[in-house]
Amino acid sequence: MSTKKKRSPPTENSSWVVIATDSIVDVPKTATGEPTFVKLRNPSTGSASLYLFGSGDSDLYEVKAFTEDYHSWFIGQTVQRDGRLLYITQMDPLYLLLPYLLKAGAEGKFQPVEQVVKDEDFPGCTRLLSCTRSLKSLHHVADEKEVGSLKFHRVSQEKTLDWLKKKVERTVSTLRKSNISVGGGVKSSTFIRVKQEEQASDEDYLRYAHGLVSEYISEDLRKDLLKHLQLPELSSPKQEPPAKKRKLSDLPVEAKDDYTKLNSSDFTRKPPKKMTAAQKSLAKVDKTGMKSLSAFFSPKVKQEKH
Amino acid sequence: MSANNSVTTVQLGSVSQAVELPIHFLPCEIEHDGPAEVSQYFTSTVKDRKHELTVSFRGRGLKGQEVNCPEGYTGLVLKQVHKPSSDQEDGAVKVSSTFHNLTYWNLEIPPSTDDGVVMAMAWPKLADAIHGPVED
Repeated sequence: MSTKKKRSPPTENSSWVVIATDSIVDVPKTATGEPTFVKLRNPSTGSASLYLFGSGDSDLYEVKAFTEDYHSWFIGQTVQRDGRLLYITQMDPLYLLLPYLLKAGAEGKFQPVEQVVKDEDFPGCTRLLSCTRSLKSLHHVADEKEVGSLKFHRVSQEKTLDWLKKKVERTVSTLRKSNISVGGGVKSSTFIRVKQEEQASDEDYLRYAHGLVSEYISEDLRKDLLKHLQLPELSSPKQEPPAKKRKLSDLPVEAKDDYTKLNSSDFTRKPPKKMTAAQKSLAKVDKTGMKSLSAFFSPKVKQEKH
Repeated sequence: MSANNSVTTVQLGSVSQAVELPIHFLPCEIEHDGPAEVSQYFTSTVKDRKHELTVSFRGRGLKGQEVNCPEGYTGLVLKQVHKPSSDQEDGAVKVSSTFHNLTYWNLEIPPSTDDGVVMAMAWPKLADAIHGPVED
């Protein structure tokens, strides 16, 4: 823990620095309703995370925070103490629907999705079905039956794994085109990235992509997907895939109702802070969803502590 | 009633009035929220040498560089306009300013592609891969 002097509590004046995909603000005039932040059940952790519905609920977006310890902003002629940088990027609603389909699938019956996608704790989940992509993409993970004008679905493990495999493959191809280090370079003890010199293996890419996709699925599915990709589970800590590294940041999940712990989780060493109701409303929803970015991209965060 | 019921609306009408403001990401926590004479005491003393920016802030040498928002993305500063008084009440935010690039500062260390902020800018592309529609 830090031995720094006690800090003053943050003030009421809260704002958020966000990098958002243009489709959130460039909405057609015909669109009804404004974008809204909502809390939904995180498919990986089962607890609340922050998401955004675009105008008219037609699209879903994920909110992730890039957090480095001891940072603040100058915005124009003002200081903002909260040094987080939030990203709002497109999200496939099927990841959030899948846990509901899987739960219902245990009964092995064909059912209307409206009956399946219900959650007392997260009433906003029914809005997922309004997303343009949702109903169109159900066939990726479920068998469909049509009776008259009614559609019924039953989740299929085989289809789900094939769909996830395609997701992993897409991610691999993006990773290859970027210069994000997935292999040897990031494993060195100094965490200095080695870019193109050290060729990452196909397996490095596959494991890294599997780790990224695993952020959106349950632990059981994560393991099944690993088998489906014909990747053995790793036990050697030397070759930790990203999914395992992120375990570190997933640890404090059980403290989810303690809002003051929010910023002390992850790799950061911040002492617990008192937060205003306003800050809580946005901040508390994220326990894992918003903090994993630093774990992926910033292996050096540990150096930041003083 | 569940606390997860409440939502926070983004007031889109505010976008057209939002001005573009310069934004700096500083390697220290400043225990203050509010006005400060940034341009007089900070921006005006920034030196630009061979694409490396330097500035002295509270006697510490900062080195920084400008990074652009990824293509198709815009920087927004969202400000609370309606603060919910409880977990159950809805809130609202407006877009108070925008940015298309930001300047980030390291303490003493020259900026490099290994810097967290630079790497984080790769996230949107990865998100597109993970979340874009797959073919049948």
